[in-house]
Amino acid sequence: MNNTLERLLAKVVAGLIFTLPLIVTDIQASDWPTGDDIAQHINARDEGKAVSRKLTMAMIDRSGKKRVRQTRGFRKYYGQEKRSVLFYLSPKNLKGTAFLTYDFPAKDRDDDQWLYLPAMRKVRRISAADRGDYFLGTDFTYEDIKLETKVSIEDYTRKTIGEDEVDGFHCYIVEALPVDEKTTRELGYSRVEQCVDDEIWMVRRSRFWDARGKLLKTILSEDIRQVQGIWTQHRIEVENHKTKHRTIFTFSEVDYATDVRDAVFTRKAIRRGL
Amino acid sequence: MTIWRYTVVMLCALGLCQRAQSRETEFSTTVWSQWAVNTRNGDSQALGLSLKPEFTSRFGNGYKLTAIGRLKTETSDGLQPDDVDRDSYSSLTRPSLLTQGLDAELREFYLEMNLGATYLTLGKQQVVWGEADGLKVLDVVNPQSFREFILEDFDDSRIPLWTVNLERQLGSWDAQVIWILDQTYHALPRSDATYAFTSSHLVPRPPPGLNVNIQPLSRPDRVIRDSDAGLRLSTFWDGWDLTFNYLYQYDNQPVLFQRSKMTATGPMVIVTPKYERTHVFGGTFSNAFGEWVARGEVGYFTNRYFLTSDPSDRDGVFEGPELSYVFGLDWSGLSDTFVSAQIFQSWVPDSPAGMTRNELETTVTFLVRREFLNNTLQAEVLWLAGITDGDGLLRPKVTYEWQDDVKTWIGTDIFYGNRAGLFGEFNDNDRIVMGFELGF
Repeated sequence: MNNTLERLLAKVVAGLIFTLPLIVTDIQASDWPTGDDIAQHINARDEGKAVSRKLTMAMIDRSGKKRVRQTRGFRKYYGQEKRSVLFYLSPKNLKGTAFLTYDFPAKDRDDDQWLYLPAMRKVRRISAADRGDYFLGTDFTYEDIKLETKVSIEDYTRKTIGEDEVDGFHCYIVEALPVDEKTTRELGYSRVEQCVDDEIWMVRRSRFWDARGKLLKTILSEDIRQVQGIWTQHRIEVENHKTKHRTIFTFSEVDYATDVRDAVFTRKAIRRGL
Repeated sequence: MTIWRYTVVMLCALGLCQRAQSRETEFSTTVWSQWAVNTRNGDSQALGLSLKPEFTSRFGNGYKLTAIGRLKTETSDGLQPDDVDRDSYSSLTRPSLLTQGLDAELREFYLEMNLGATYLTLGKQQVVWGEADGLKVLDVVNPQSFREFILEDFDDSRIPLWTVNLERQLGSWDAQVIWILDQTYHALPRSDATYAFTSSHLVPRPPPGLNVNIQPLSRPDRVIRDSDAGLRLSTFWDGWDLTFNYLYQYDNQPVLFQRSKMTATGPMVIVTPKYERTHVFGGTFSNAFGEWVARGEVGYFTNRYFLTSDPSDRDGVFEGPELSYVFGLDWSGLSDTFVSAQIFQSWVPDSPAGMTRNELETTVTFLVRREFLNNTLQAEVLWLAGITDGDGLLRPKVTYEWQDDVKTWIGTDIFYGNRAGLFGEFNDNDRIVMGFELGF
């Protein structure tokens, strides 16, 4: 009889030991904002109607060889439609290259994209479907570049799975899983884990897993400070864990206050250059 | 010297010298070198070195001045700078042959400015129309040097012209008006040059035993009356990039009029090369559909001249219209990979039986390009196939970027097929190329 009672007690204790953390986590989780709430906060954050900025791209391979591109970029919202353009200023062999995108809010409408290559002296229409491709030799995909500090609502289901600190700032860890296999193939990610600063609703750290479930890359957003009242990341570093290749984006001369002329976002503008 | 005097006068006339202070000036240089070895006989086909300085200055009044020069030398016995006939250049545009094997050229020299709602580009420049790659339909505003056939990059082989180029937005349309005050035409290789044309489509073949007398090139030389002019209207409509083009020009290729004459030494064929006018009407389109981009262009030339072998023909040339078009599909569904295919057709309606070229000529192109190692390594294969003549050109190439502005490449150019075809005529010129480019 005693043995039976002891075994029962042991089972109860063991059950408590295993379930208590889950209960505690559940209690905590009920206090956490949901993944969707966090995504809404991120996307509601003010990015300014228009911005102009200098962007230095440093690309460093596993042997330490570094390539640097100086660019000037402009972005402007037209309602929900976003137009952005990037002009290469250096090095010499890329100078004059320019990339123009019209990003439409409708999910069923592909972006319109054009590329001007000085060697061809032609503005080429390019496909916007390859959003999982890497952007001009960097470790960012076209989709990463397009989203900037936003997140895609349609492509992922989100869940808040924990809390953490990045650079001393509290953040919620949000797990994002592609909605289907097709999206996984298109984006090249099977899982994304983002650490979101809940004071300013910016992603401070993102980890990406490839389609096979292996850790692919980590993006760190640093030197985040206000410019003309808008929280702005001034340094983004991404490391590809597979290739050990790194890309560092450094933003300077960020200006949200001065309007950007509509004429900048045209094919003739990318042909003429800055 | 004439060029510099001309441009200084031009700039001063615009008031630039007095009104504008240079605000920002950039200077850069590109050094390019390539060695080509003929794979048939192991001879060096070309060992070229070029220096391309580029100067840009922005002025306080918004004006921008660009000057691009080129110093080019060939140190091998094969290709030489003077392989092309320099008579096709106007005196303002002709490169200066400094010594045998070394020429200097003011490639481009133009001033850009906003004049109210009009954007003016004034000076020696390239105006590029069309959507096709590697083949030309509407990209005929500027003539081309065929010193190296079509193997040279178009940016280098295209001959910039002194042009007034006005652009203005008209509602949802962009209008471009060009006025070309430069009587320069295609620079064609001399008959003894490495890439001299021999195809019967382009070069008359008198019967054996007949003497041939080639007259000096008759070229237009009245700056205003012999100028060319064009208009391009562009718009973006429902996802489509569209242009409508019109060009009134002297065809860049001289017509080889022929007549027979009895001389003391026997019958003789006298060939008189002459440039003739044509109107060009055309248009282009492009749009993206998922992973695909469709693009194309069409050009209708009202007056073209084609060689005929009909002995009863009065001047050995058939005059008629020509319709040319290209349709291309680009696919980028595979990561870091670009695949492109084009079909090009040229049709001469109502062509006579003796015309040396075919009534319908078809060329297809395929390009596969893949980037590796974060775009530092690029491998590509370009294949141009002349379907009508059964000839072609295959161009595999690998390029590696060692660091910013330092790249090297190795590749081959393989010609094959019927020697009467535009590609097959260079069957003996197969080559391996290797080279480097530095920028600073």
